[in-house]
Amino acid sequence: MPFRPSDSALPLTPISFEILLALSDGDRHGYAILQHVESRTGGVLPMRTGTLYRALARLEEAGLIDLVDAPQKPPGVASDDERRRYYRITARGRQVARDEARRLAGQVAAARSRHLLSGSDEP
Amino acid sequence: MMRRLYRLCLHAYPRPFRARFEDDMLRVFDARLAQARARGRVRWVLFGGLGLLDALASGARERLRRDPVVPELRRPSMGSGWLTDASFALRVLRRSPATTIAAMLVIAFGLGASGAIFAAVDHVLLRPLPYGHAGELAMIWSNNTHENRDRNPVSPADALDYMHSTRAFADIQPMTSFLVADQYIDGQAPDSVRSSSVGAGMFALLARQPVVGHTFSREGAPEVIISYGFWQRRYGGDRGVIGRQVSLSGAHVTLVGVMPEDFVFPYRSMLGPSGFVTALSADVWMPIQFTSGFYVDASGQPTRQARALGLIGRLKPGVSIDAAQADLAGLAAGLAKAYPATNDGWGATVVPLLDQTVGALRPAMGVLLAGVFVLLLMALVNVANLLLAQGLARRREMAVRTALGASRWRLARQSVVESLVLAAGGGLIGGVSLYVGIPAMVALAPADMPRLTEIRPDVPVYLFSLALAAMSGVLVGLVPAAVSSARDAHMSLRDGARGSTLGPAARRLRATLVIAEVVLAMLLTTASALLGRSFLFVLSVDPGFQTEGVLTFQLNVPARFATSPARVAYYDDLFSRLRAVPGVIAAGGTTRLPLGSTNVSTQVAIEGRELPPAALPEVEFRRAVAEYFQAMNIPVLRGRTFSSDDGPAAPGVCVINQTTASRLFPNEDPIGRRLRIGANPQAAWLTIIGVVGDVRHASLEELPKPEVYISGRQGPPSSPFVAVRTNGDPGTLAAPVRQAVAAIDPLTAIYDMKPMTEIRRESVSERRFLLAVVGLFGALALGLAAVGVYGVMAVVVSERTQELGIRLTLGARPAEIVRLVLGQATALALAGIAIGLVLALVAAPLLAHLLFGVPPRDVTTLFTTGGLVAGIAIVAAMVPARRAMRVDPIVALRK
Repeated sequence: MPFRPSDSALPLTPISFEILLALSDGDRHGYAILQHVESRTGGVLPMRTGTLYRALARLEEAGLIDLVDAPQKPPGVASDDERRRYYRITARGRQVARDEARRLAGQVAAARSRHLLSGSDEP
Repeated sequence: MMRRLYRLCLHAYPRPFRARFEDDMLRVFDARLAQARARGRVRWVLFGGLGLLDALASGARERLRRDPVVPELRRPSMGSGWLTDASFALRVLRRSPATTIAAMLVIAFGLGASGAIFAAVDHVLLRPLPYGHAGELAMIWSNNTHENRDRNPVSPADALDYMHSTRAFADIQPMTSFLVADQYIDGQAPDSVRSSSVGAGMFALLARQPVVGHTFSREGAPEVIISYGFWQRRYGGDRGVIGRQVSLSGAHVTLVGVMPEDFVFPYRSMLGPSGFVTALSADVWMPIQFTSGFYVDASGQPTRQARALGLIGRLKPGVSIDAAQADLAGLAAGLAKAYPATNDGWGATVVPLLDQTVGALRPAMGVLLAGVFVLLLMALVNVANLLLAQGLARRREMAVRTALGASRWRLARQSVVESLVLAAGGGLIGGVSLYVGIPAMVALAPADMPRLTEIRPDVPVYLFSLALAAMSGVLVGLVPAAVSSARDAHMSLRDGARGSTLGPAARRLRATLVIAEVVLAMLLTTASALLGRSFLFVLSVDPGFQTEGVLTFQLNVPARFATSPARVAYYDDLFSRLRAVPGVIAAGGTTRLPLGSTNVSTQVAIEGRELPPAALPEVEFRRAVAEYFQAMNIPVLRGRTFSSDDGPAAPGVCVINQTTASRLFPNEDPIGRRLRIGANPQAAWLTIIGVVGDVRHASLEELPKPEVYISGRQGPPSSPFVAVRTNGDPGTLAAPVRQAVAAIDPLTAIYDMKPMTEIRRESVSERRFLLAVVGLFGALALGLAAVGVYGVMAVVVSERTQELGIRLTLGARPAEIVRLVLGQATALALAGIAIGLVLALVAAPLLAHLLFGVPPRDVTTLFTTGGLVAGIAIVAAMVPARRAMRVDPIVALRK
């Protein structure tokens, strides 16, 4: 059995991280998460339906997200079908996402200090 | 539909997962599918297909997930690369070369056969015809509602009206609905060519240009365009032939163009029911003109009575076939009202050109495709079974790997990679065999099948085989993976030292696989048995004439015998010479040779029964020259046949067949009654002098139609079929007969010389080919099923060696042991046969089109097949059963 600390969820897979990001400003249903991720990444991270729901299942099992019936709508998402299930980020999920962001930021800073990010992409 | 499929695919997920997410996933799938739909049909299919695969793949991964703790989080893992898996797979496969080679060959065989049949279906049924934008082309026929024949040729006057008045077609062009045998003379020796007369704009309508030269300058121009094949054969591809003056059956014309190599027009199946030769395709094209001959009526205007044209139309952009059908039906109705004498009861039929060309092949090709698919499935089931048996031997290895932390997903992946490597090897062999197999299949297929020569292994065929190979690899690999489980692994480690047995899941799976094989074998065997019995029935049909001892050929009467009296004199001379050839007992000629030529029909008027021209009965029309009925041994039932007294100056006479007699003269004696051929009231009356037996003309399967023969001395044909009867081998007549013909004119073109028995054999060649392929499939299916039963019973016996040893020690007789093993095999086989019978009953009507004399649900065939399959299964189980009987109790117990 490969070694895996059970209390630490880090590092997150890119898809899990994107899902947590998508839920950070409000509850969304599955399709909205998918649209959000695809539009944010500009299609760089293509997501299949199966992948999304398996990731959602894992996140829920890990207690990072919850399934809710009455959504708190994020700005810009119209209320539509009420029968849909919405997903809500938990406090622990928020914490893990924050930790992951920090971890990534640390890595980015390291890359920057080694001039990996210099060039035309640099603001 | 796509949604329903997706919901089905979602069953790949474990039940709890489905309970939680199914509705939601369906909603997402719907939304994305609608999005894809908006971007076109191709995207829709692509997205839908990928979505289904995604559901299956991701569902399988979810099922094989080992622990419920956030495994999506990345984890380090030993040897996780696919390449590592592949190289490991290679090592494993090398360890048991016999199994590996057997599995690869079985897969290669399945893939090769499917690839070949796919190539045929793709090139013949699916690819566009070799014309520009061929999907817009349609064939237009007259619809004879009196006789229920919807694909009759069109008359020149009707054709002109259609061309001028249609709103649905951008252009309509005519062609003669038959090919003509012409004599082609260009300085050298004469060549016999098949010619087709087409509208001057036909090539533009088909959107094809000559490779050398140009198309016709105008309607009726004295010009000729030749095919690529004829250009190569006759001129060796010389580009300087353009502008050559040649003689075509006496007419002087200029050679103006050569069509491209892939250009075939018209296909045989585009021709009407009449035609002088059974040619495969045209060698030369000439421009048609409705100003003379049988295109015009007595006043020199295009006629409405002679229906001899095929029409090809190009639909205007966006116009559907249904709209075109409505357009032409409307025009035909208008003509029927305006010209009731000739057009009453005549409508119009519009058929997509591809349907017209290959539509008749669809049922047979469908059967072949289904058959090869079943065979491929069986091959895969066999390989899966083989790997399962091998997996048994590798259980310890798997158990160790599981204990060391390999997840089920990881082991499944390993198994799939292994079978993918197998499939890649099999695919490679299969691909190479396609390269030689497809040309071989084309060579064996009946030569007159339309588009046959277009079948070749090309990129789409290889892509299809590649996709099939990948799918096969995954399917086969998942089977052994599915039966291993953690509990099994634990048991294996413990029992390992003593030789392991199959877990209950694996045992059930193997039994299921064997039953599936028996079911599939049952289906294929039933299909080939039904086709085989049909074939025998067809062969036993009495054609109404004697095929043995007859040599046949076709000839063109030399151009210098142009007038009727000259031709009568020519025939008198020819047949007296043929009669004088040693061994000949009768020699005669006809315009339509049964089973060997096309057909022509005409309306007849009966004296004393006044009917408008459009309502006259239709009969098939032939001429009989010299001793035709004797040469063919067609019996004379009443009256007499033609004699030398029935010459040009004598009163007109005719002979009818039995069907004509019973249909047109049901309760009276036809002898002495008078007929008139055609609707022309000025034509002479012909007295019926005799009734001859019916012959099967179009095929052995089609019931005889009414036929009327006129005398060759009163209407001498210009390119007759000749039949010469001998007591011995007709092949020996070939040389003296050629000499006799050449003695009159050495330049006479003789072609298609063959014994009547061969013509009869060729007439069933399509059926024979279908039977050969399906029969081969059936035999292979039986073989695969036998191997499957053998394999599973061998494992059962080796598993139960100890138990059998104990039984023998306790006094069981060897015969009882054999009965035990055979009983188990029989139970499996009977289960398969029962399911197979039910499926065969359900699927049999699909064959109905192809059967003759046997109902699709023929009980005798079904039970015979069932017995055969059961017998083969028992024979296959015999080998392990005998081994079981010979188990040495001492050895067995010591194990």
